[in-house]
Amino acid sequence: MSQTHTTFRAAEARRRWIGGAVAILVTGVVFVLPFLFALLQASKTQADASTLSFSWPTEWQLWSNLVAVIQVRDYQLLLAFFNSTVITVASVTGLVVFASMVGYILQRRQSRWNGLINFLVLAGLMIPPAVVPTIWLLQQLELFKTLHGMVLIEIAYNLSFSILLYRAFVATIPRELDEAARMDGAKPWQTFFRVIFPLLKPVTVTNIVVQSIAIFNDFVNPLYYLPGKDNVTVQLTLYNFQSQFETQYNLLFSNVLLVTIPPLIVFVFFNRQIVAGMTAGAVKG
Amino acid sequence: MEEEKTDMKTTFRRTGLALVALSAAAPAWAQDPVELTFLVDNGPPSVAQAEALAAAYTELNPHVTFDIELRVGSIDGDNLVKTRLATEEMADIFLYNSGSLFQALAPTRTIVELTDQPFLDVVSDSFEAVVTADGGVYGVPIGPGFAGGIMYNRAIYDELGLEVPLTWDDFMANNAAIDEAGYVPIAQTYGDTWSAQLLVLGDYFNVEADSPGFAERYTNNEAKFATDPAALRSFERLEEAYEAGYFNEDFGAATYDDGIRMIATGEAAHYPILSLAIDPIAEQYPDAVPDIGFFAQPGDDPDKNGLTIWLPNALYVPQASENIDEAVDFLAFVASQAGCQAQIDAGQVSGPYLIEGCQLPEDVPQATRDLVPYFNDSDLNLPALEFLSPVKGPALPQLTVEVGSGIRSAAEAAAIYDEDVKKAAQQLGLPNW
Repeated sequence: MSQTHTTFRAAEARRRWIGGAVAILVTGVVFVLPFLFALLQASKTQADASTLSFSWPTEWQLWSNLVAVIQVRDYQLLLAFFNSTVITVASVTGLVVFASMVGYILQRRQSRWNGLINFLVLAGLMIPPAVVPTIWLLQQLELFKTLHGMVLIEIAYNLSFSILLYRAFVATIPRELDEAARMDGAKPWQTFFRVIFPLLKPVTVTNIVVQSIAIFNDFVNPLYYLPGKDNVTVQLTLYNFQSQFETQYNLLFSNVLLVTIPPLIVFVFFNRQIVAGMTAGAVKG
Repeated sequence: MEEEKTDMKTTFRRTGLALVALSAAAPAWAQDPVELTFLVDNGPPSVAQAEALAAAYTELNPHVTFDIELRVGSIDGDNLVKTRLATEEMADIFLYNSGSLFQALAPTRTIVELTDQPFLDVVSDSFEAVVTADGGVYGVPIGPGFAGGIMYNRAIYDELGLEVPLTWDDFMANNAAIDEAGYVPIAQTYGDTWSAQLLVLGDYFNVEADSPGFAERYTNNEAKFATDPAALRSFERLEEAYEAGYFNEDFGAATYDDGIRMIATGEAAHYPILSLAIDPIAEQYPDAVPDIGFFAQPGDDPDKNGLTIWLPNALYVPQASENIDEAVDFLAFVASQAGCQAQIDAGQVSGPYLIEGCQLPEDVPQATRDLVPYFNDSDLNLPALEFLSPVKGPALPQLTVEVGSGIRSAAEAAAIYDEDVKKAAQQLGLPNW
């Protein structure tokens, strides 16, 4: 009897071990291999990298490639990092503040405007924005070719999605909390910022992660709405090394590495908060 | 705080005074510092040409400086250029394709016309033709001209004692000998679909030789690829090369970069490609440059051997520019011998220039030297069909991949392509379609 029990537990342990190994293997193939590939290409000479083979570099020049990428076009990459960071941080902040407020009101207060507002939110998701009229508008507001204009564009384009996330989540917060706050004498804005907003932390974290990746990686919008040499963003710098007739893969991949690493570091450091935020929400619901 | 404010006020007042002073000195405007914005695509040759020209011009005119901005190429680049022209946010000078893409910019409404400018006298007529809209000329050439034809490895030719073929049959005979010797006769790289079109597009000189006036009849919907025997030959040649089994084994997946490698390292003897492929070869395989040559795609008649050429990009000045006079003066410099020399000095020697009297130095790569005789004699070269007719269908890369892979016959592909261009021609609103 006890022997069968032991074999059963041993089988269970083995199954878990195999499951874990498979998971690690899949993670390795999906995440680590591409990274290694980029790292290897970034270490090669141009002729060596042009074959794009998964092979050991004949000559290691990772450092000189990285330096070349940073120095290219008068240290453009550093400027691009500054611009991208400003745009991402400012837009995500704006998105979180505005979308949470809209989502809260839309869910809590029923009025005859709700239908129209919901329609507009959905329209924001479904109707692709037209580029030229948007630029005309920006020109009239004197926001074209400015970082704050770009921030407003990113907020406007991504607001709908964030509102939907918030609205769905607010529905899970009991109305009694609002009422209790009201009984204790909280003004409406205090109810929101001191009672509700902290409870929205899980969905706020989701929003920050999803939107900052989307905005940091955005290529098309900065291309059209933020022209000019001084307004370059990191995704646009990749095109310094890539064109139809000639691509410098070693420098391209060095640039990819440099562009990928900062968000990677941020997520490694804030991993605990991100996971904590998500699971906290799961328990509270 | 209070002090700061006063400071600010004085600065404003001073700037105001400076402005008044400036407008008073109006006749001397030409010497006031001007910064011209300059938008170029991100291809290394374009950047090198633009930087060389800007630096040379600033040396002659110290009051003019340049702010060079790079843009992406391909379809995003096209959209960007159109968007910026439509919103009047275009740089003072911009680089863009000549030919049919130029026509799509609505040049008469957006670009400064240069027709009566004296500096156009030295620009070759064949180039002026491709930057002309409604009888007006709108651009000057930047960079060397190039060609579509066969890039070949001279080391293999020497080793096997072969000669540059003047007819398609000679070419196929060479291929047989090369195959025998264990080299890849023809490199094909369908991983980059655009490169598959070269055997068809580079054949246009031969089409016109056998069927004079094809471009015009084609534009008027009177001639078709499927029914004109000379034009159909272009597709058939691609088919023959495939059926003879002369391609590299991985032709379906290989990329343009692989093609460069194969021809430079002597894996393959021929690579039908644009002549500007010599630039990446010089960059990645500098030792191989003397071994690389270039010849026109041969036709059926050795007496009618000539090159299908591509005309370079052009520089344009948008009507919305605030510095039109300075920008046009810069274009005058670009179209002069000095401008041409500045580009040559920057190592831009992948082909001959389209400025009269502009000579390439002696030490240019062999592949470039091979182009010069064709360019010097107007009977020996002809612009590609896309420069002579606005009709070009979007499906040609896919169709040539199909023919080159044996998926579709030449006749069938030509017929489908005729249907494909019909839509494009109707969109352009051409008569007779």
